[in-house]
Amino acid sequence: MRRFRLLVLTLVLGCNDGLQPTTICDPHLVGICGHITFRGAVPDSTDVMYLVAYGSFPQTENDLFNFLPFPPQTLQIPLGGDSVVPYGLALPNNQYHWVLAVWKKVGVLNPSDTASADALLREAGYYRDPADTTKPGVVTVHSAGTGGVDFVVDFNNMHSVSYFFPP
Amino acid sequence: MTSRLALAAALLITTPAAAQQMGTIVGTVRDTSGAPVAGAKVEAVGAAFTLTGQDGRFRLQPVPAGLAHLRVAAFAFRLDSTDVTVPPGDSVSWNVTLKGGVFYLPGLVVTAGKRPESLENVAASVDVLSDTAIARRAVNTVDEAVNRVPGVQFINGQVNIRGSSGFEQGLGARVLLLVDGVPMNEADRAGIDWDLVPVDDAERIEIVKGAGSSLYGSAALGGVVNIITRDIPEGIHGRVRFFGGGFANPPDSLWKFRNFTGMQGGGSLTGSFGTDQVRGALTVGGRHSDGYRQQDASDYLQVAGRGEWLPDPVTHVRFTGTWATHQYQVPLAWCGPNQCANMRGLAYQPFLVDTADSGNHTRSDHGYLTATVTRTPDENTTWMGRASWLRTHFTDFQKAGDDFAVADRFGAEGRIVTTPSPDQTVTVGGELTDNQVTSDIFGNHTQEQFAAYGEAERVVGKLRLTAGVRADFLADDGAGLSAVISPRVAAVLPSTLGIWRASVGRGFRAASMGEKFVTTPVPPFEVVPNPSLHAETAWTGEIGNTAVITPWLSTNTAIFYTRATDYISPELVGDSIQFQNVQRARLAGVDVSLVASPFTPRLTTSVAYTYLDAWELATDSTPGRPLAFRPRHLVTLSADYAVGPASVGADFRYSSRFERVELYETDSRVAAKTLDLRAGWRFGQFDVRLLATNALNYIYTLAPRTLEPVATVTMTVTYVY
Repeated sequence: MRRFRLLVLTLVLGCNDGLQPTTICDPHLVGICGHITFRGAVPDSTDVMYLVAYGSFPQTENDLFNFLPFPPQTLQIPLGGDSVVPYGLALPNNQYHWVLAVWKKVGVLNPSDTASADALLREAGYYRDPADTTKPGVVTVHSAGTGGVDFVVDFNNMHSVSYFFPP
Repeated sequence: MTSRLALAAALLITTPAAAQQMGTIVGTVRDTSGAPVAGAKVEAVGAAFTLTGQDGRFRLQPVPAGLAHLRVAAFAFRLDSTDVTVPPGDSVSWNVTLKGGVFYLPGLVVTAGKRPESLENVAASVDVLSDTAIARRAVNTVDEAVNRVPGVQFINGQVNIRGSSGFEQGLGARVLLLVDGVPMNEADRAGIDWDLVPVDDAERIEIVKGAGSSLYGSAALGGVVNIITRDIPEGIHGRVRFFGGGFANPPDSLWKFRNFTGMQGGGSLTGSFGTDQVRGALTVGGRHSDGYRQQDASDYLQVAGRGEWLPDPVTHVRFTGTWATHQYQVPLAWCGPNQCANMRGLAYQPFLVDTADSGNHTRSDHGYLTATVTRTPDENTTWMGRASWLRTHFTDFQKAGDDFAVADRFGAEGRIVTTPSPDQTVTVGGELTDNQVTSDIFGNHTQEQFAAYGEAERVVGKLRLTAGVRADFLADDGAGLSAVISPRVAAVLPSTLGIWRASVGRGFRAASMGEKFVTTPVPPFEVVPNPSLHAETAWTGEIGNTAVITPWLSTNTAIFYTRATDYISPELVGDSIQFQNVQRARLAGVDVSLVASPFTPRLTTSVAYTYLDAWELATDSTPGRPLAFRPRHLVTLSADYAVGPASVGADFRYSSRFERVELYETDSRVAAKTLDLRAGWRFGQFDVRLLATNALNYIYTLAPRTLEPVATVTMTVTYVY
C-alpha cells in the first residue's frame, strides 16, 4: 500500500507541470504586469483601490509613503463576484520587494496623519514569493515589462496599517 | 466472418481424417463472474479450433474420436487446458471458467497475413484489442481504443504507429485502415475516418506494426489497423448502450471561457436476428458533445448494418454497410497574443479560438458498402471475392467561402489461399481500386490502382519462412501507369527463449489526390498543386521476440528500422506551400512490452516502452534534423484489478516532448502525461463503466496550437439481450 501511495504521489506530482497561463506585458511597458484575482464581495464603503510597489519592505510607518508610482495608480475593481483582471504598472528600473493592492475607504485621507491612514487604508493583497507564499515576492524591472506578477485581492481578509506596525 | 474463416482455417490444418470417425465438442467459456467470454480460441490441439461467440458458446467440429487435448486462450485470461474423450459420431460438453491472468499471446487468431493464422506464426509485430479490452476501457470510438496501444499515438486524430505519420493535418496517413480486411482510407485525402464502425460492433482490432505493402499495397507504410466486426449470433439479440458525462473546466481560472460545464452523451441500439442460413444486424446510434474548448461542439448520427448468408456449409456471403453524418465546429489554432477578445493579457489562451473563425463548421457524411464471398471448396483451398464502395463528402462552412469534396473509393479483390501440403501455404490475389474526387479545392480527378500479390509460407523443421511480393500499378487521370514493387521476406522460429521473428520488406504510399491537386488559401500562404508528386517508399526491417517467462509474465520485444525515401511533405516555396517529395528519413527504435499478473491473478499489469529515433536525413543542401511530431520516448503503463463482477483500472501514458514541430515552433510545448482511471460493475446483463480520462486535467498539446482533451468523466451503461 505504501508503494501504491508513492506511485500515486509520483504520478500526481509528475503531471502538474503541463502548460500554464503565461502573461504578456504591453510591449511598450517598463514595469510589471500580471493578473489580480478578486475574491469576496466589494465593501459598500469602497472609495478606490491603488496598485503600488516598494523598493524595500517598509520598516517604519513613515516608509509607507515611499511607494511608486507617485501618485499611485488606481485599480479598476470588477463589479461583481470572483473574477480575474489583467493589469500593468509602470515602474522605473529597480528591484521591488513589496507589490500590493491598497483598498481605500470612503473618507478624506490626511497623508501626514497615520491615524487617518490606519482608519482608511487596507492592504488588500500582495504578490507573494512563489517559493514561500507567506513572504512577499521580489520583482525586478529591467527596461521592459516583467510579466507573471499575479496575486489575490481578498476583500474578506484585508489588513490595516496597525497590523504591520502595532501601536 | 471470423468464425467462418476460422472454420475454413481449421479445415486447412485438420489432419486428413476421412477414414476416421469424428465427433463434436460443445461448451461455453465464462469468466469467474459467470459472464461469457467472446472471441476466446478453443482448440483441439492438432485437429481444429474455433472462436467463442458473443454468448461464450463454441462448437468445435469435426474432432477425431478418442482422446483430444483441448485448450482455450483469451486475452487477459490464463490459458486453460484439459483432455477430453470425444465419442465417435456424438458430442461431448466442456464448459470452461477462465481465470484472469497474463495476456496469453500464443494461440490467438489474427488476419495480418490476409488469412486466419495463429498469432505465434505471424512474423510481424501485432497487437490485438479484444472486445473485452475495449469494453473495459469504456471508450466510445474506435480511435480512443487504439490510442493506448503500445507504440501507437494519435496526434489530433492522425494515427502514428512507431512514429509513421507525424502530423500533416490528416492528409496522407501512413497507416492503412481495414474493416474486415477491406481498405477504408479516404479516396481524396487518403486519411482515415475512425467512426466508420460503431465501437460496439468491433469484435477485435488488430494493429500490425511495420510496412505491410507486400500484401496490402498503398498506405500500409507504417502499419495496418484491421477492425474485425462481430459475428452475428443465431436467434434474436439486442444491445442498448448509453453514455454521458462532462468535461472539466480549465485548471486555471484565467483560462475560463464559459459559464457552464461542457457535457457529452449519446447512445446506440443494436438488434440482430440469425438463423443457420441468414443473419442480420442493425445498429443505430448518435452522440452530442459540447466540446472541451471554444467552438468545439459536435453531433454525430450513424446507421450500420451487417448481413450474412450461408447457403451451404462451405460458402459464406457477407454484406456490411454504414452511413454516418458528423457535424462539428472547427476549433482551428488557439488564440495567440492579442488575437482574441478576452485574452486577459495572456500570451496564449488554449481554450479560445480566433473569433474571426467563429461559426465555422464542417459537415462530413461518409459511409461504405461491402460484399464479400468466401468459399472453401475443399479442405486445402479457400477463395474470396469482394467488392466495396466508400464515399466521403465533406463541406467546410466558413466565412471566407465554403469548400467541399465528394470522393468515392471503389474496390474489388479476389484471393485464393491454398495449402498444397501441411507445411506449405500459398496466398495469391489481385486488387483493383478506383478513386474519384469532385471538389472545389482538389479539382475533379481519378486515380486507379491495379495490383497483384502473392505470398508463400513454408515450414522447415521449426522454422516458418514466408516470402511475398506485390506489384502495384498506379495511374492518375488516365495517364500512364507507374509501378511500385513491394517484396517481403520473413521468418518465425520457436525456441526455448520464446518465439523469434524477423522480417524485411518494402512499403509505399501513393500520393493522395489531396496532396497532388490541392489549391486553397492558408493565409498568408497559398497551397498550390504538384501534379508530379509521386509515391513515397520505405524499406523496413524488424527482429522481435515473444516469450512467456513465467505463467504470470510475458514479454514482447522488437527492434525496428525503417529507411524512407521521397517522403511527402508540405514545403514552403516562395509565398506558396506545396507538397513535395523531399525527405529521406530514418525511423529506428525499440518496442518493449511486459505483461504481468503478479501477486494475484486478479491483478493484471503492463508496461510498454517505445524508443524512437526519427530523423530527417541530411542532403547536399540541408542538414539533418529530427522528424517533426515524433516523441523519442513513449511509455504506457496499465493496471487492472478485478474482483468478481467489479473491476478497477488505470492507464498512464507518457510521450516525451517533441524535439521539433512545424508551425509555431517557438510556442511552449511540454511532454504529454495523461492518467486515465476506470471502474466497472457487471450485474446480470447490465454492464456499467465509469471512465475518467486525463484525470489530472493535464494541459498539453501535440498538434500546433491545438489543445488535447481536458479531464473528462463518462459513465456508460450497456444492456445485452
